Amino acid sequence: MSARRSISRVAAESSVAVLLAAVVVAAALLAPREATMGDAQRIVYLHVPVAWLALLGFLAMAAGGACYLARRDLRFDHAAQAAGEVGWLGCTLTLVTGSLWAHEAWGAWWEWEPRLTSALVLWVISSGILLVRSTIDDPHRKARVAAVLAILGALDVPLVVLATRWFRGMHPVAPELDPSMRAALWISFLGLAALFAWLGECRRNQLRLGQHVAELARRSSALVGM
Amino acid sequence: MFADCCRIIHKDLVSEFRSRRAWPAMLLVGVVAALVFSLQMDLLPHEKPRLVGGLLWVSVFLAGAAVIERSVAGERDDGCWDGLRMMPIAPGALYVAKLAVNFLALLALGCLLLPLYFLLSDLPLLSHVRALASVALPACLGLAAVGTLAAALSAGNGRSGSLLLLVAMPLVFPVILAAAECTRLAAEDRFDDAWWRWMQLLWAFAIVFVTAGTLLFDYAIEE
Repeated sequence: MSARRSISRVAAESSVAVLLAAVVVAAALLAPREATMGDAQRIVYLHVPVAWLALLGFLAMAAGGACYLARRDLRFDHAAQAAGEVGWLGCTLTLVTGSLWAHEAWGAWWEWEPRLTSALVLWVISSGILLVRSTIDDPHRKARVAAVLAILGALDVPLVVLATRWFRGMHPVAPELDPSMRAALWISFLGLAALFAWLGECRRNQLRLGQHVAELARRSSALVGM
Repeated sequence: MFADCCRIIHKDLVSEFRSRRAWPAMLLVGVVAALVFSLQMDLLPHEKPRLVGGLLWVSVFLAGAAVIERSVAGERDDGCWDGLRMMPIAPGALYVAKLAVNFLALLALGCLLLPLYFLLSDLPLLSHVRALASVALPACLGLAAVGTLAAALSAGNGRSGSLLLLVAMPLVFPVILAAAECTRLAAEDRFDDAWWRWMQLLWAFAIVFVTAGTLLFDYAIEE
């Protein structure tokens, strides 16, 4: 690895670490204690950003899939897979943190409420796409199947979001926030977005290198066979 | 395109009528699932409508999966798939034809299972026939649309049956959910605002999936 690349990598990782520290400070110290729920409300500073990032990851996976279908370049598939996996992580964290918040706010770990149900639907769809990937060996076939599924799954998203608007449930929708709470929410979003982008980039690089290794192994076995 | 679709639909229906290799098995699996679920549904009468919808549409999809999978894998096994692909027709037309046959199969299964579930659960059926038919149409269309595309994606894989369920199940989850809610509300005689909203959602899913399937089928059947 060249010196310039390793410097830029260390700089990116340091920036992510600083932003994550800012998230902790903003959520724990900058945001005031909420009157009704107390400190348990601070889960929101994790829950809301990861929910948005999960949705973005899902849409990025579909965009990567569409680019793969148009260009047939596996680099787009690697980006789509990385985005999908990071999106799945975000969706899982959304469900877990949402469940923790619901236990404090509603006294129940889970309610069959439209917004919770829609998050669960997205989690099931993204899990299905990742599972399908693991069952196919040929990289181009895997990329093609995953791309079609990601586009279909992304088409589900607006309908599911629409459903949550139609069926108003117990879940709070855009409540009035104190300015310092709003600032803490934005800092959390930026910090977690940086973390997710870094994770996605690491995974994309890993997939790219894995592809190189597979290609080298194929070439060396062909040479041995000659 | 319409004439091409009709020819493929006719071929598939005649082939199934002569061989009877997928539809009877589907109907039998559906009936057995309905009997087992209804036998286990030992609930108070007012609690039964809450379960019937979900069980009905899960049974329709799982029993129908065999027919949906055979709609593409059967063509490959019989050596017809290459011939179909070489026909001078748009891939979208091939998708619409396969979708139409799968839709008819699921509709036939729904027509059998819907009365069976309602009779076994002792729920009023005759007073809601039109409402239930209006639920069955978009629900079967949505399930068939996703299923047909998933069958094309999973065909050519050694484990196409299990892969079909893995591919399709998460995507049809919202369709099954909406159809189950519509059926529950109809069984409870509640044709209110919520029922219309779920119906709109069901139709929206069906239209989106049919359109997306027509556009993406070309990519799904690539070798």
